[in-house]
Amino acid sequence: MIARGILFVWIAVWTVIALVKAPLVPGLGGTTRVLYFHIPAAWVASIALAWSMGHSLLYLWRRRIEHDDHAASAAELGLVFCIGATITGSVWAKAVWHSWWNWDPRETSIFFVLLVYGAYLALRGSIEGEERRARLSAIYSAAAFVTVPFLMFIVPRIYFSLHPDPIINTSGKMHMDPLIRISFFAMLLGFTGLFAWMLSMRVRVLRLTRRIEAGAAAPALEGTV
Amino acid sequence: MNADQVVCGVALLVWGLIFFYLTRLERRIRELEKR
Repeated sequence: MIARGILFVWIAVWTVIALVKAPLVPGLGGTTRVLYFHIPAAWVASIALAWSMGHSLLYLWRRRIEHDDHAASAAELGLVFCIGATITGSVWAKAVWHSWWNWDPRETSIFFVLLVYGAYLALRGSIEGEERRARLSAIYSAAAFVTVPFLMFIVPRIYFSLHPDPIINTSGKMHMDPLIRISFFAMLLGFTGLFAWMLSMRVRVLRLTRRIEAGAAAPALEGTV
Repeated sequence: MNADQVVCGVALLVWGLIFFYLTRLERRIRELEKR
């Protein structure tokens, strides 16, 4: 409970500092504020999808259902944060490019990531049988993650994009005001903590669901053996 | 009150609501786990 309180205060305090105290980036003006939510959301989406891939591989190796719970939960949350990054990016695009959606390489890439992981959840929902669902989903998730670095990091750098330079630019340096940098990394940390909390809850819900289903199935199975 | 403070207020309200929802959800999960 203390950790939850710290997380609440951490994000609240850094939100105030980022939105009220930190200076604006020259050229971006007021749209700088989106930076503190858009990039952490995209960062957490990448971590979540990598977590899903890692647990999918662990499931294929060890065949323990806990790994499938983690893989499914992380993919769901990855999709949620990916949608968050898309919405905040779209708000930023409207303010700067005067259009909600422009099929810029980054927008197109994130659209494909959403499609790939939307298909993952659709696949999970369509397969009967816990073991079969876990196995096929793990194979899909492990293969699907190959597209994430390609779509999120490589494609936007190959094609011309109007999207601002990455935070750490090609020379490996960060050109940022110190307060912007600290606020940005603090929000990154806060979002990562939020993801860890949500992931643990989602995994517990899946465990509970399995327990309840097993409890409901037990009376029905009595007398059949 | 300037625009930055309004945006900040809205962001804090949204974060407060998300946190309140997640806290209630966790309490419910804990109750179900104890049964």
